[in-house]
Amino acid sequence: MSASSMFADIPVGVGVIYEGERIRKPQMYVELGGPNIKEKFELLRVRPINEVEDGKITIIDRDIKELEEGSSIPYGILVEVAGKDLEEEMEGVMERRIHDFCNYIEGFMHLNQRNAIWLRVSKKSVERGLSFIHIGKVLQRLFKSEIPLIEKIQITFFTNQEKVKRVYEEALKVYEARDARARGLKDEDVDVFYGCTLCQSFAPTHVCVITPQRYANCGAISWFDGRAAAKVDPKGPIFAVEKGECLDPFNGEYEGVNKVVKERTLGAITRVQLYTAFNYPHTSCGCFEATTFYVPECNGMGIVHRDFKGKTPNGLTFGAIADSTAGGRQVDGFHGLSFEYMRSHKFLKADGGWDRIIWLPSEIKERMRDYIPKEIYDKIPTEKEVNTVEELKSFLKKNKHPIVQSLKEEVKEEKEKPIAPVTIVPTQVPTITLQPQAQSPTLTPTSAEEAITLTFKNLKIYADKLIVKKKK
Amino acid sequence: MANLKIRIDELHTDKIIAKGFEFRVGRLIEEWEEEPGPTQMPNIASLRDWDRKLLSKYKPFYLPFCELCCLCTMGKCDLSQGKRGACGIDMAAQQSRIVLISCTLGAATHTAHARHLLDELIAKYGPDHPIDVGGASVYVEAPNIRLVTGIKPKTLSDLEDALEYCEKELIHLLAACHTGQEGDNIDFESKVFHAGMIDHVALEICDIAQISAYNFPKADPEAPLADIGISVIDPTKPTILVIGHNVPPSIEIYEYMKKAGLEDSIELCGICCTALDLTRKTSKAKIVGPLSHQLRFIRSGLADVIVVDEQCIRTDVLIEAKRVHAPLISTHYRNFQGLPDRTKDSIDEIVKDLVSAQVPGVALLDSEKVGEVAVKVALSVFKKRQKFKAIPLEPEVIKDAKRCTRCGNCQRVCPNYLPIPEAMLAVANGNLEPLSNLYEACIGCGRCEAYDVCHQGLKPHSMIVGASRLKMEQDRFKIRIGRGAIQDTEIRAVGGPIVMGEIPGVVAIVGCANYPGSWKDNAIIAEEFLKRKFIVTASGCAAMSISMYKNEDNQSLYEAYPGIFDAGGLVNCGSCVANSHISGALIKIASIFAKRKLNSNYEEIADYIHNRVGAVGLAWGAMSQKASSIASGFWRLGVPVIVGPHGSKYRRGLLGRKDIKEDWYVLDGRTGKRVYVGPTPEHLFISVEKKEEAMVLIPKLCMRPSDTTKGRAIKLYHYIDLYTKFYGILPDDIHLFVRTKADIPTTMKEEVIKVLEEKGWKESEIPSLDPTLLSKFVRVKG
Repeated sequence: MSASSMFADIPVGVGVIYEGERIRKPQMYVELGGPNIKEKFELLRVRPINEVEDGKITIIDRDIKELEEGSSIPYGILVEVAGKDLEEEMEGVMERRIHDFCNYIEGFMHLNQRNAIWLRVSKKSVERGLSFIHIGKVLQRLFKSEIPLIEKIQITFFTNQEKVKRVYEEALKVYEARDARARGLKDEDVDVFYGCTLCQSFAPTHVCVITPQRYANCGAISWFDGRAAAKVDPKGPIFAVEKGECLDPFNGEYEGVNKVVKERTLGAITRVQLYTAFNYPHTSCGCFEATTFYVPECNGMGIVHRDFKGKTPNGLTFGAIADSTAGGRQVDGFHGLSFEYMRSHKFLKADGGWDRIIWLPSEIKERMRDYIPKEIYDKIPTEKEVNTVEELKSFLKKNKHPIVQSLKEEVKEEKEKPIAPVTIVPTQVPTITLQPQAQSPTLTPTSAEEAITLTFKNLKIYADKLIVKKKK
Repeated sequence: MANLKIRIDELHTDKIIAKGFEFRVGRLIEEWEEEPGPTQMPNIASLRDWDRKLLSKYKPFYLPFCELCCLCTMGKCDLSQGKRGACGIDMAAQQSRIVLISCTLGAATHTAHARHLLDELIAKYGPDHPIDVGGASVYVEAPNIRLVTGIKPKTLSDLEDALEYCEKELIHLLAACHTGQEGDNIDFESKVFHAGMIDHVALEICDIAQISAYNFPKADPEAPLADIGISVIDPTKPTILVIGHNVPPSIEIYEYMKKAGLEDSIELCGICCTALDLTRKTSKAKIVGPLSHQLRFIRSGLADVIVVDEQCIRTDVLIEAKRVHAPLISTHYRNFQGLPDRTKDSIDEIVKDLVSAQVPGVALLDSEKVGEVAVKVALSVFKKRQKFKAIPLEPEVIKDAKRCTRCGNCQRVCPNYLPIPEAMLAVANGNLEPLSNLYEACIGCGRCEAYDVCHQGLKPHSMIVGASRLKMEQDRFKIRIGRGAIQDTEIRAVGGPIVMGEIPGVVAIVGCANYPGSWKDNAIIAEEFLKRKFIVTASGCAAMSISMYKNEDNQSLYEAYPGIFDAGGLVNCGSCVANSHISGALIKIASIFAKRKLNSNYEEIADYIHNRVGAVGLAWGAMSQKASSIASGFWRLGVPVIVGPHGSKYRRGLLGRKDIKEDWYVLDGRTGKRVYVGPTPEHLFISVEKKEEAMVLIPKLCMRPSDTTKGRAIKLYHYIDLYTKFYGILPDDIHLFVRTKADIPTTMKEEVIKVLEEKGWKESEIPSLDPTLLSKFVRVKG
């Protein structure tokens, strides 16, 4: 245990070191919630200032040591906070901190959130006298020190089945209302977006623009998270971006966004359009969860994510594709993004949304099952169906992917230029086919883009005879 | 790449008519599409400015191990108290010269190893054998080679140009040590850095060549586990022991065993890096332990044949082999051991002479021959020797101990001053425990048994081992075999959290693990930082030592922790040449993740790593000159290294002065503004004596100017937590590492704020996200 004075009265250690501590069955004293218990919850509410008694901890009704050893218990925790600058829409963000803070406590394992929570208390910590009172004290101190906007905080622990059930029903309603609000919130509904420059350490010209309908590229920061972070630490790397005038509602271009991006990238990036992967796409950092890649032969985009180990139909790995866009660049058709953004109605809207997606790893496809429009779901192939561009083309044709129609139209209007196709040159050196002793030299780069330079060092050409003949 | 030959029998254009035109190219080299940066194949002068930049921040602090210089005939010269030698040299220059000699020796040893290995592999597998260290997962296959030489190797023969470069540079470095050359200590230090950089190129050549040719695990986080420990060796089977670093002869032994269907009837085991590399070929091979296990294992008599190659081998190995009647085969011209060279003789003749003990050993410079001879000799000698031992049984130990007069000579000559006489007294009274307690502390050097040390003729080292039979029986562990490089995809996943500080650091536990208790110390340190979600990488004997310990679940750490390069992963890269994958991973963070140009762009990459990648090396029990050159390769990349115990014998530290504020400014690469960032990292090279001191320093030296507030808070947490755990009080320098209040660890706010108030701390400006030491990397001139 550390010599921490902040938690001198807590019988177990409190600190980052205990994060991720796993308590296995033999070391476990009791399990709170978990897969065997239906009714369990974790809820944080913002209350009027006079309704919260600061420092109050209530246990309804049994404390840890009174629970039967080895059992799984219906469990709930209600954290009520008050403060003049707190807003109801910050509840979700603050509620998720319960997970972090619980995990700082030695011998107290916390997994998941909301009504999926799964906690375990270790035998050792119970032997040392760990009680809900201590856990409550730790949470109260951490909440107040991390979120100074919280002026008052009271916590109630529930271990009584009946009481858990009653509050559980209420919690479900709160979660649903919160989700509905989050889902319903559109970029048009707010005046402020949030910006994040955390990645500038490795992507110096990257500013993440986080909107209600566009999660940060890393998948870790929602608009609500951004709002809370900017409030709690106004000098931090996450900051408010006044939207300003909407310059282009279709592509998602805002005056205020352009201004901030220009300032924060020292003029390297001057325009950003939020709903497109072309012309002025959002920059790509280095930690994006997935990226699109343009397939010129089909005028569509594939998506590949970080954990995909194979190669995309154009023969490139996630790494090679990521390399072509990372570092805070705007590269047409190569667009780093988060999974959550794929779930958004604004997902690459200007480019045709899901209609423009022509390939996905099966893992993403499965994860996005509920978000990909039904009529197109089966028309997008994965690595299980196609492995080359040729196979991709014939799959799209056979399954009547909407892109096939657009390709035909382009052929008709020959003069109309397709949207800025770029060609990514594979980072590997092209194969040169050499035929020793051949009658004539055959140097065949595999494609026209892969031009090569030959450098001859110490080239000496010896000719038996050199005959110069003047033309008449 | 195959030779290019073009023949044009007839060519007609409007200007030229050619007949019988023939055109040949000796070697075809595919150039890398990335344009070279400013320092392709740098010479001693090329990176001098960068070195001086680092050395002005981390000034050498000399700890003369010897105050005399006796290198030329004008001397010996006493250099103490400001005196200069006959050639004019002063103490600082002399100490740094010795450091340079040591690092050059180390780098030359690795380079020579690379030369020998590469020649052998090219001869066997051909110059066009492709370099493949990880298939599609490792696109940047040779980060050190690419960074330093600008070569992107595709085949074994492509490594030759890089190797020739190393060989050339080493000659200049060695020449600089001659009397009457360099006189300035900082220039010597810059050359030390140069030797280190060369060393990592040579290490990388070695390892990627052997990974590619022998099909070792290719950047595999799930590389299998192998057996390690003295008691994993089956005494009922003929046993071949290999010792050293150059693996081809050992692999040929295995290949011959396989061919002859003897894989399961002979024990093939090894000590030191050859053993580690052999398990990368077959997990049927077993590892006895680190280099300190040589005497005790040879004397145990278990080995029926001993095969040595090069480096870290006991120079009295022939004497020890003779004591247990085990034939010795020397396979390397750098280590003949005085044995006759029988390379050209027939296998039958050699086997006959060894089996009949006509000769105690032979030198055999043909790996395939070694394979066949070693197996045939082991099979024949096995029955004859009947595992002849040179270690006494317990009753003998007690009987001998009674003769001890407790004169203390053995303790005095012991490099670690182990209390042998005291233990002898207990043994004489029938209690073996105090003597067997020395088993883990003893590094097996045998100085206590040297001529004339014990006038009673006792053999303390053998007695320690003899008293420790029970301990040796428990010497049975699991090690994850060397996985080789770090995958590009792993780098991408951890690059962000490392640069931001949210993965609190990469700790490289490397070196010889050759001081008392250092095996256990390494394991305890590794476990502490694995629990704290650092990335722990390991190599060489240190990687072995980490395995020789069981946690509370009775598992070795390699069983308990995954082999991925991620928070809480324990990554065994391989033998000591695999250290290049650790430096390589850091280089890849800058090049793959942060997109900094890699080709011949040393300064920018090093500047990036130094300011942003929270990595620290720990060479606990480092002994050799190779260890010093490996460390110096990390210094030039700006990565701090901790050594100990006995690390002060490397003669100097590169210590930062946290009390001098002026030393800790960097430039904000975005604006050019000078920004105070605190002493991060505080030192570049420091020696400590206790593992607890090292454990406190590790998180501290992982702090970097680029840490985000969340990252700094996590690192500070570990620093403060470990400091209070071991010293019982709060550290007195917290205020130097807290930039804004958001840097304070969540769970330590109250006490830290109290300290800050006492120190009169003031919040400084938001830290730069783009710190650099060099004005040329400022993007907008401010």
